[in-house]
Amino acid sequence: MAEKVKLPINPSIPSGEQTVWADISFLLDSACEGLRDGELIHGENFNLFAAMSALEIMDPKMDSGIVRRYYSVDEAIDSGAAPIPLSSDRTLDVQCVIDIMDHLLSCEATWHKGHSLAQTVFSCIYLLKPDRTTSHALLHSYCRVIRATCNLVVSVVSDARTNEEEDLFTMTYGLPLKGDGDEKCLSMLHAVEETIARQLRACKAPPSKRRVVEDMEPLQTNPDLEEEYCKALLCRIRFRKHFFHALTAMRRPQGRGLELARKHIASCLSELDSILKSSKFLCSNACGTCEDGLEDRTTASGCQPIGFDASLNCRLSAPTPPRAIKILSWIKGVEYFQKLLHDLDILCSYSLDPLLEGVLHFVIEFHKFQPDLVARAHLQVLLIHDGKLYGRDPVFTVISKAAALPEVLKDYEIQNEVLGQLGQLVINLLKILCTNAAWQRRKLGKILQDWRVSYMQLELGFKKEFREISSTLDENLCAKISKHILIWVEEQTYWIASRFLSLGFDLELYSPSEYCMVYWYMYVVFIRLAEKTHLKMLTSHETGKRKAKKKKDSLKDLARDYQIPPGVLLLQCHIYLAEALTMMLAALRNEHKVFTSLGPFNTELERFNQHFELLQKASIPDHMSFFSYEESTMNTRLSNPVMLNCFKDAQRIAKELRSSFSHDPEKMAELRRIEQVAEHNGVALNLICRNSSTASGDGEFWRSGSARDGVLGSPDGFRRVSIWVRSTWPTGMVKSSFDGDGDGEFFRDMKVRRDLGV
Amino acid sequence: MEPAVTAKEGEMTVELEGSEIEYVSYGGEHHLPLIMRLVDEELSEPYSIFTYRYFVYLWPQLSFLAFHRGKCVGTIVCKMGEHRSTFRGYIAMLVVLKPYRGRGIATELVTRSIKVMMESGCEEVTLEAEVTNKGALALYGRLGFIRAKRLFRYYLNGVDAFRLKLLFPRRELHTSLQMMATKNENHEEMHLLQENFCS
Ligand SMILES: CC(C)(COP(=O)(O)OP(=O)(O)OC[C@H]1O[C@@H](n2cnc3c(N)ncnc32)[C@H](O)[C@@H]1OP(=O)(O)O)[C@@H](O)C(=O)NCCC(=O)NCCS
Repeated sequence: MAEKVKLPINPSIPSGEQTVWADISFLLDSACEGLRDGELIHGENFNLFAAMSALEIMDPKMDSGIVRRYYSVDEAIDSGAAPIPLSSDRTLDVQCVIDIMDHLLSCEATWHKGHSLAQTVFSCIYLLKPDRTTSHALLHSYCRVIRATCNLVVSVVSDARTNEEEDLFTMTYGLPLKGDGDEKCLSMLHAVEETIARQLRACKAPPSKRRVVEDMEPLQTNPDLEEEYCKALLCRIRFRKHFFHALTAMRRPQGRGLELARKHIASCLSELDSILKSSKFLCSNACGTCEDGLEDRTTASGCQPIGFDASLNCRLSAPTPPRAIKILSWIKGVEYFQKLLHDLDILCSYSLDPLLEGVLHFVIEFHKFQPDLVARAHLQVLLIHDGKLYGRDPVFTVISKAAALPEVLKDYEIQNEVLGQLGQLVINLLKILCTNAAWQRRKLGKILQDWRVSYMQLELGFKKEFREISSTLDENLCAKISKHILIWVEEQTYWIASRFLSLGFDLELYSPSEYCMVYWYMYVVFIRLAEKTHLKMLTSHETGKRKAKKKKDSLKDLARDYQIPPGVLLLQCHIYLAEALTMMLAALRNEHKVFTSLGPFNTELERFNQHFELLQKASIPDHMSFFSYEESTMNTRLSNPVMLNCFKDAQRIAKELRSSFSHDPEKMAELRRIEQVAEHNGVALNLICRNSSTASGDGEFWRSGSARDGVLGSPDGFRRVSIWVRSTWPTGMVKSSFDGDGDGEFFRDMKVRRDLGV
Repeated sequence: MEPAVTAKEGEMTVELEGSEIEYVSYGGEHHLPLIMRLVDEELSEPYSIFTYRYFVYLWPQLSFLAFHRGKCVGTIVCKMGEHRSTFRGYIAMLVVLKPYRGRGIATELVTRSIKVMMESGCEEVTLEAEVTNKGALALYGRLGFIRAKRLFRYYLNGVDAFRLKLLFPRRELHTSLQMMATKNENHEEMHLLQENFCS
């Protein structure tokens, strides 16, 4: 065959100085003849594993070369793929430039959402040759601002870099990301904006006044369309301008530009609205109607943009099989930017709380909006800069406040290696909390051990080091520092553990048959967390108290000393809830064989060890193992009154706490949810118990009931009981309904409810 | 493992008795086209023939085919090996033709592979499945796999994956102390390199 087909050797890939192109088809053919199926000729370092990454040449599913339309950007340009101007008809030219702008927005959103820059934004041929566009001021300035914006975003994300999600995002190899003069993009864009604004004014002016501005050349040739085209361009240009400004302002150190950024963000959002509105005009102009809808279109007009070819950059991406990237639709692209801007706005309105507790709270709340990479990267560079909180507060200051060190000690510079490490742990923690939930959970699991080790080192190190270093401090103070810090480190460790466990719900890592052990684990972790938090407050209180005594404060104040702080009480609610849910699930398992987990290959022990391996490794908590879990749930019966009391207590405390948190809507919502879960389950439990006691045989009542939806519907009997378990701790719930066929599928309808608006 | 092609609604199904299905271990090059055709049909990712060969040549005992009246209707392809001081099995591909689903064929295929892994000294079995692949998740869940972690945008279609894991009971009789000294297996980063072979 090889003799018959003479392959043309493509001259656009030149031979090197000491290399020439040669046809080896004949050699391959004769080699093949000697081989049988499944045999492989290979070098020593080429094994079957390496063979897997082999690409089959000439297979369009594998070979990125053969799906490429052009060999190079120059060839594409020579073939007229990206003309300048886009059309000699100036109206058409404007229309085409708008399409490019829109498609670029879709591409940019697609990039932010996790595809490579090369195959999204830089599929635009105009962007790839920065100098070519010079003669077209509008296109040129727009390309510049796009490149500059991409550059800015890449730099934020690289600064925040923590995991592979960012790696793909910041892969810019071979792309002309920094065109000469792109830094002047704003002034160029401004000039273009000015011109179009004047053109808009000119076409709107009454005929009598037109003479004044007559020397003004219109944007394009059709006077009927002039106004709308000017408007369509203006909002697009202004959006880019404000977006660039907003990003620049956000990068100012110590959050100094946040207020300014908010103004630009607001402008961006309003320009986006105008962009959306312009679609109607552009659409009707381009194709006559807008009827087809815009679901899949990447431009406002619905037209295919000129000058894009994603395959041109194939060679820049890793040698993987070619995969077509689906660019987000224009509507989805605009929606993405709206969401991004809202997320950034939340960041910009943050008050830069100097207390670590407040920072952590803010970050956790921020995650509820499910921010994408770009917003999270901004969060991180805002929080941590120059190794300081907000680039402002030294970590030790942050820790002293968090650990509630006595005032006298706060200013004292303690140079201690272990404390330095602790500072690093805090910084790492904050960075990890800015990553996506999946990655975050894995990392949190791993750093638990670091925190544990750090605790032990601190414990050992404090006594020794303080004596050596701080001869100026009296020993009493040293003891105090170590006590405060140690308690705080433990508290923080348990906080991380509880975040780790609750993220498992968010990520849907637990199946219903595992809920029981997860609740049990949360229960034991919450207890330790509450203990440490309480201890911390008591310790700092003691210090404060002594001062207060000196000031001879009233007896009333002293009486207040013994009240448990609301933060601890809230934890207490969670403890009750977790305890009750554990018991309830255990009892249902023990007595009714639901929520069991029987596999042919392993037991609950293995599943427990797998789920909590990282916690167990870090001894969180001490002396807790599968056997503690087994022991505490093995004999639980539904008749155990503790369960119901726990639900009641959770409900009661949540009610009482309302007054303490009335200023905090999120906490209020959390309290409401706790009350509801506790109440629902209390009712469900009563119902189950009542039916249990009247049922004839074990598990009989499941089948004997007549009414459906016993809990919510009819109280007189049931086939189906709903209990409320928490899917995301502490925000959402899962309603697990199961009916009593004993061995069937119990989870016919598991609905995740973000909010419990029954 | 790669995302499955979305199943079409209203596919016809075949009536059959459980005993009509015959399970055979991978038997040589003549089985390769059967496996390839099945996987090509049901999974979205293009695999080169080298990918199949890597698995079936090195671990033929872990691959099985299910036949119905001479027609190959299901297959499983796996591997095993040392992974950061753990010896573990890995399920790479599992497919049952649509008309034959819901009859326990996949369960039987997986069970056979896992048994061989267990006998070969594996301590655990892992795989990845798309978070949206309800069927596969239910199937593995019933076999005792847990969702050990979620992998962010693991697949090229942007969908997350779960890493599923099945830990075998330790063979020796153990005290609670031994039990707590769990193995060291911090592995996901390397793991991606080694096992996400096709993307
Ligand atoms: C996943 C797949 C292999 C299952 O094959 P199968 O032969 O139908 O599976 P089984 O009959 O052994 O099912 C066993 C159990 O899994 C669960 N299951 C399987 N398919 C399910 C579905 N679509 N929805 C819910 N549960 C399902 C059920 O619990 C079932 O037990 P049951 O029938 O007693 O209730 C098959 O659907 C397939 O080939 N899918 C496309 C490829 C794929 O997704 N592969 C796995 C990639 S990780």
